[in-house]
Amino acid sequence: MSQLSEIQRHLVAAVLFIAAMATLPYFVSERYLLGQIIVFMLWASVATQWNVLTGHAGVFSLGQMLFFSVGSYTVGMAGTYLGTSPWISMPVGAVLSAVAALLIGIACLRLASAYVALLTFAIVFMVQALIVTDPNCFTNNGGVCLPLFGGGNGFSGFADFGFRKLLKGDWIVGNYFVILASLTLSLFASIIVIHGRLGLAFRALNDSQLYAASRGLNRTRFRVTVFVITAFFTGLSGSVYAAHFRFAGPSLFEMPTLVLILAMVIVGGLRSTWGPILGAAAMMVLVEIAKGMGDVRNTAVGVVLVLFVLLFPKGIAGAAGRTLRMFRAQRSAERPEIAERRFDATKTEIAR
Amino acid sequence: MDAAIQIIITGLTLGAMYALASVGLALTYGTMGMFNMAHGMFMTIGAYASYSLSSAFGAPLPLALVAGICAGAISGSLLHLLIVRFMLHTEDFQTTIMVATAGVAIALQDLILKRYGAYPFKQPAQIEGSFRLAGTAISYQSIVIVAMAALLIGALAWLLTYTKFGLAIRATAMNQDAAKLMGVRTERTYLQVIVIAGVLASAAGILISSLAGLSPAMGTDPLIRAFIICVVAGLGSVTGAGLAAIMMGLFEAAISYYIGARFGLPVMLGLVVLILIFRPAGLFGRMEVVRS
Repeated sequence: MSQLSEIQRHLVAAVLFIAAMATLPYFVSERYLLGQIIVFMLWASVATQWNVLTGHAGVFSLGQMLFFSVGSYTVGMAGTYLGTSPWISMPVGAVLSAVAALLIGIACLRLASAYVALLTFAIVFMVQALIVTDPNCFTNNGGVCLPLFGGGNGFSGFADFGFRKLLKGDWIVGNYFVILASLTLSLFASIIVIHGRLGLAFRALNDSQLYAASRGLNRTRFRVTVFVITAFFTGLSGSVYAAHFRFAGPSLFEMPTLVLILAMVIVGGLRSTWGPILGAAAMMVLVEIAKGMGDVRNTAVGVVLVLFVLLFPKGIAGAAGRTLRMFRAQRSAERPEIAERRFDATKTEIAR
Repeated sequence: MDAAIQIIITGLTLGAMYALASVGLALTYGTMGMFNMAHGMFMTIGAYASYSLSSAFGAPLPLALVAGICAGAISGSLLHLLIVRFMLHTEDFQTTIMVATAGVAIALQDLILKRYGAYPFKQPAQIEGSFRLAGTAISYQSIVIVAMAALLIGALAWLLTYTKFGLAIRATAMNQDAAKLMGVRTERTYLQVIVIAGVLASAAGILISSLAGLSPAMGTDPLIRAFIICVVAGLGSVTGAGLAAIMMGLFEAAISYYIGARFGLPVMLGLVVLILIFRPAGLFGRMEVVRS
């Protein structure tokens, strides 16, 4: 393992993780559970991208659900108005999200991080308000008024991946693998960004902004680049979401959804590589428990989020890393000749 | 002429409420670099507290008002004592405090939803009637709103400019360490600032609910407007936030009148983005207040 570089080790781990996820449908036959795993994969992908953006690039964007929705709405509108198959509209949705991110990024990303958070939040809210309050009908489907962007109800019942015809009762397994594929793309992209040249640039900018800038690193340009990349994969997840649930509507913009995914990033561990995946799994379990206790979902999410910020600011990944290092330190204390090498390895790990 | 008066009246009423909502937000950011996502919940809590008191116990209007404001002050101090206090010296305070307060906001909103239900109520603390000025009907309600906002913001301005207490807040906002060295108990100043923000926001919440009704999500819309106002003014600029709020109110009233109510916010936001492209620190912000 020691010959492998940082990025290669993470890529190998990603391949193993994806392979494990791919075998799950053979063991899990219960449709509800499979559906929940699908939701987990969708949110894990969004959380992973958000972590790249906020944890590594330092852009605190609250507009991630806007990019998700651009993807969803593209699939929803293309399916409803043009009857397009999601296989065609999904990539279009991802590209449109990236374009939206480019425009917003150029306008906002020069500003200090608090401004970025507030502006992106306001933009999402504005888009939602415009969609929900649209009074004009674009079409009249059997007497039902449908505004151009779906109004308060959004779009539903459009074409999905088409596995219902192909796989009959097992259609959800087909959907499962499409969503797993989108998570795979998102995960690999995040690893390449975090541990590749872009990530190096962000580490340099984090260490010393002035020095990095004087060595010719253009902070705004890097930030816009990563904003666009993460929006592309967030939009891809959104379009896959729409094609799976056959739904795209203004409820995607709601504050509780945003905070749930933010909680996944924070609980998992901001600035880590694998934290958002852990966080997404943990929050899915929490939501499931909260549902059983009489729908205290949002309260539970809020309380857990606050507790983690207060007690474990580095999240599950940070706490796990600390325990692992303590364990290693104990072992290497027994065998001093390995200790030196291990210590160096952990030092670089901490720096990541 | 009628239209102009109408726009000015509506605009001032809106502006007064926005000013109450955003001045506290600007003050907390200016003093401690904390952007409070739960600021909208102060408004909701204030509104629901005065609603509960006047509907359940039939309390008279002034009492309900005072109770709502007290509720805002209490929730502000609880927020500080339970959460903010422990986070003040952690790294990335600006980001993590937004995350934590966002968590507080959705938990509280969920609890209010469970307690009162999603159905919007009418705020019973109301003043009926109107008088006519140059052919335009002006409700006593909007006069009270403007008067109350002016009173509270005037009191805040007096506190900040003429008292030792205000001096301590301003000193902390300028430079925490220097203020500490001069004997200012900055920790206590932070608590005071959040309580002030809670008081102003809950007053704003009560006034807003008297026009728009009560609902668990009622704080979101004014919060977003307060965000935009603070961004335009330059984060942390308190006077700027007050002025920008009045400007925004008038502007929004004009847009609602001529184009349509649903375009008020989008046009405002577009304008803000334009302003920021040319003045990255905001209209009233100094470059050194927030490093961009």
